[in-house]
Amino acid sequence: MFSRSIPGKLRKIVGRDAVLDRPADLMLYEYDGSLARGAPQYVVFPQSTEQVSELVKFAAREGLSIVPRGAGTGLSGGSIARNGGIVLAFARMNRILEIDVPNLRATVQPGVVNLELSNALAPHGFYFAPDPSSQKACTIGGNVAENSGGPHTLAYGVTVNHVTGLEVVLPDGRIAQLGGNAGSAAGYDLTGFFVGSEGTLGIATAITVKITRLPESVATLLAIYDNVQNAAESVVALTSAGITPAAIEMLDGWTLRAVEASVHAGYPLDSAAVLLIEVEGLREMVEEHAEAIQALCRKSGAREVRVARDETERQLLWKGRKTAFGAIGRISHSYYVQDGVIPRTRIPETLAKIEEIGRKYSLTIGNIFHAGDGNLHPLILFDSRDADQTQRTLDAGREILEFCISVGGSITGEHGVGMEKQDLMCSLFTDSEREIMLRLRQCFNPNSLLNPEKMLPSPRLCREAVSPGHASLG
Amino acid sequence: MSSTTATRNAIASRFEGLLGSACVVSEPASLERYAIEGSVPGAVLLPEDAEQIASALRIAGEERWPVVPFGGGTHQHIGRVAEDADVVLSTERMNTIAAYDPGDLTIALAAGATVAQARAACAQHRQLLPIEAGAGSTIGGAMAVAATGPLQCAFGGIREFCIGVTFVTGDGLPGRGGGRVVKNVAGYDLMKLMIGSHGSLGVITSANFKLFPMPPVTATFLCEFDSAAALFRFRDSLVKSPMSPLCAEVISPAAAEYLKESEPRDPDSWSPNGALAPQTPWLLALRFAASDRVLARLRHDLASFTSQEIRAHDENRFWGAVSQLEKHVLARHPNAMFFQVSLPISESAAMIEAAEASATNFNFVAGVVGRATVGSFTVVFLPLAIDPPAVTQFAGAASDFRSRLSRAASAVVVRCPREAKHHFDIWGSTPTDIELMRKIKRALDPYSILNRGRFFVE
Ligand SMILES: Cc1cc2nc3c(=O)[nH]c(=O)nc-3n(C[C@H](O)[C@H](O)[C@H](O)COP(=O)(O)OP(=O)(O)OC[C@H]3O[C@@H](n4cnc5c(N)ncnc54)[C@H](O)[C@@H]3O)c2cc1C
Ligand SMILES: Cc1cc2nc3c(=O)[nH]c(=O)nc-3n(C[C@H](O)[C@H](O)[C@H](O)COP(=O)(O)OP(=O)(O)OC[C@H]3O[C@@H](n4cnc5c(N)ncnc54)[C@H](O)[C@@H]3O)c2cc1C
Repeated sequence: MFSRSIPGKLRKIVGRDAVLDRPADLMLYEYDGSLARGAPQYVVFPQSTEQVSELVKFAAREGLSIVPRGAGTGLSGGSIARNGGIVLAFARMNRILEIDVPNLRATVQPGVVNLELSNALAPHGFYFAPDPSSQKACTIGGNVAENSGGPHTLAYGVTVNHVTGLEVVLPDGRIAQLGGNAGSAAGYDLTGFFVGSEGTLGIATAITVKITRLPESVATLLAIYDNVQNAAESVVALTSAGITPAAIEMLDGWTLRAVEASVHAGYPLDSAAVLLIEVEGLREMVEEHAEAIQALCRKSGAREVRVARDETERQLLWKGRKTAFGAIGRISHSYYVQDGVIPRTRIPETLAKIEEIGRKYSLTIGNIFHAGDGNLHPLILFDSRDADQTQRTLDAGREILEFCISVGGSITGEHGVGMEKQDLMCSLFTDSEREIMLRLRQCFNPNSLLNPEKMLPSPRLCREAVSPGHASLG
Repeated sequence: MSSTTATRNAIASRFEGLLGSACVVSEPASLERYAIEGSVPGAVLLPEDAEQIASALRIAGEERWPVVPFGGGTHQHIGRVAEDADVVLSTERMNTIAAYDPGDLTIALAAGATVAQARAACAQHRQLLPIEAGAGSTIGGAMAVAATGPLQCAFGGIREFCIGVTFVTGDGLPGRGGGRVVKNVAGYDLMKLMIGSHGSLGVITSANFKLFPMPPVTATFLCEFDSAAALFRFRDSLVKSPMSPLCAEVISPAAAEYLKESEPRDPDSWSPNGALAPQTPWLLALRFAASDRVLARLRHDLASFTSQEIRAHDENRFWGAVSQLEKHVLARHPNAMFFQVSLPISESAAMIEAAEASATNFNFVAGVVGRATVGSFTVVFLPLAIDPPAVTQFAGAASDFRSRLSRAASAVVVRCPREAKHHFDIWGSTPTDIELMRKIKRALDPYSILNRGRFFVE
């Protein structure tokens, strides 16, 4: 029946058609959305929690590492098999296990695609609030691992604010429950601790999330600026005026022109920046807030504020935002996305700094970001076939993130550290802070067979911490 | 009394050498204030910064001296009976607002700053830190017990808006999670681990929060129902409606007695065969942030349920009374038993039925307040004055109540007479994996000195 080879034994656990081991088939799994690469030895598609547990035990016996993978849209190399081993791909664990409207919960397998959950909830009048721009492809398992956000994070919070319970398989194969469907549970909040752990603590095999009621009314506004600084100042003005829109997204002139070239979202080509602002809730409240926002944006220098007249116009404005990375992919051979976070009061000076860095390294940098949260996504365009340009890109990216750290910010707001920003963890956290994180990882994943060499840098890497100018892909 | 005078002096002098005598309290008279459920500690340390905490913990670890982190001392009774504390580590000198950036809506606070002090600073800029805790409570204490209140309905618990934390582990390592920005996924989320850890994993030294605009105007609709079941049926339609209340607080008839300014009609004024004010309704208090236009809409939508709409002074007085409920109950019933119950919201009515049945069986009367749309409740068992329950009846009542709840629910006893704690586990059950919790406790407190014996996993 099954051979004694490793693929044979894997097939015995998950079935004949659920293991890939031919180099041509594996190639697709060498990538995610980042610049990192790494070839797995096997890709396996488990169909149940029990199979995951068996696979993990098998891998431990064979000394093979395991890397969980959702849709592979991650932007920090999280699902890359850095040193071979088995990729556990969740494409076939994609069932919605329960929709529990009375308790405002849904329980899903990790491979359920983010938008599919919202689509399934829509007939009940609900949706899943975290809405990464990749939501048509990315999985809830990946969202949990990265603690993903999205444009509407500003009002509704990131993934961790919406997860109440997890079933996880630990690297020794044990199946453990964390939290449940109540809002909280006695004991440590291991659910909250697990979310955002980038697949380094355990494998999520069932996820219980809060579901959110669809709003009664939505207004989407497009504020148009002749000057990026004014757009940035509008964000500060809105924040301090005490208006919390559901979303405030910014695209700078370069980026919005790139977007317009591929989708006609209606962003004016001659503008220097636009803010895409959305308010949701009771009809009366939405109308009042939309008026207040228009006034505030004008006061801080918007040359025009448009309000989407209908759902089609609204969808079009969002389409521009949500497909922006793709649009840029079409005009540049490669691009490198940063994910720095800064206090919202520092947006104007940070944008000026990014422009300066672009000039310094002779690179084009577009800006598109979750402005309401201070979460920047500078996109550095380059040609990965050009070694010199690639190095300049990495150096520029690093300089941007170091600037974010210097103004009290962080190196990643939602994309994760992965294998891409490990060296920056050395400057963000002290030795003792990292030592504590390492101890905690060991409680779950003692031999680091699960997603090895991710997120936490080895003490050796930090000792050798490269000086600026020597950034690498880790 | 925990320590003899001789060991007390030894402990005190060890720390005086380290921190200076100004940071060590050892006179018996001054130590009384820091008693943990009646047990006076060996010495009290008043460190000024995280470094002093780290060096103190390293010594305590070496000596295996149990340490109790101490904030305002308002809720040191939560937990199992503590092993006698040799050392109390008080954060009272670490009480500054380290940074407040109103433009960014974020604040950084030292652990010993009081919740009231922080909220007052935010209020000056018309901003809100939605932590609800009694007078004297500190930020560190509120984090450690994961304090919640009516605002949880709109803002969630502390875990939803705490963006950074620093702490020192049991073996004296300074740790940090998060930072000062509102969105951040660099490194493990140690805020989640510290919040609700009841001082068992580390001494919290500071915490950062995102803030919210203070709603300029609010109004509260008091909705009355004949029964808990009717109230929760209405709640089921509320959570599907477009309304987003700031608070949706259930107040049971027995609990409502303690919100009034007059003497409560409670078990103490009971006649053995009289019922407790049968005509008193179940109350759902809905508070909204609302302009006049929005208010008009809400008034229309809620018309058939509302008995009264209160605003301004009356509204503030009402919510003030709700926050003082525990105090008012304790003033008359120092032996009352309080549960913190968390459950899937569809189980709310059944939980209340269970509380009433168990209470009656064991000579108590049950009162309930809590967040109707969240499933987080405070249940109080008021002992009957005419036939007060014995300590074993506290244990019996708690076990009986828990046995009637589903496995998804937890019911932690956050207050009961100390002697009763010997007869049952105040923590009850949890869905969360105990083995992992134990490993984490050992990893961050290897000598098991922090709040020894008090938390879940020992
Ligand atoms: C065009 C584009 C736009 C994007 N926009 C956003 C955005 O707006 N906001 C945002 O936050 N992110 C965004 N991302 C990043 C990415 O989509 C998210 O990080 C997403 O959550 C990854 O999901 P995935 O299923 O693709 O996971 P993968 O990339 O496959 O994996 C990500 C990580 O999750 C781990 N993992 C996967 N499944 C499990 C599991 N079951 N248990 C444990 N660990 C697991 C992997 O090991 C890996 O470390 C974007 C990406 C692209 C390409
Ligand atoms: C679920 C719940 C709901 C509550 N709701 C309300 C309410 O609605 N209204 C109200 O007035 N009160 C409420 N309380 C009580 C209130 O929140 C507490 O009084 C307060 O937060 C404790 O603060 P404290 O500074 O007095 O801490 P203490 O009483 O000194 O300590 C309490 C616990 O926290 C630990 N601790 C204290 N400081 C630290 C630190 N820096 N690091 C680590 N551990 C520390 C202690 O060791 C102890 O275990 C509630 C409590 C709970 C558990």
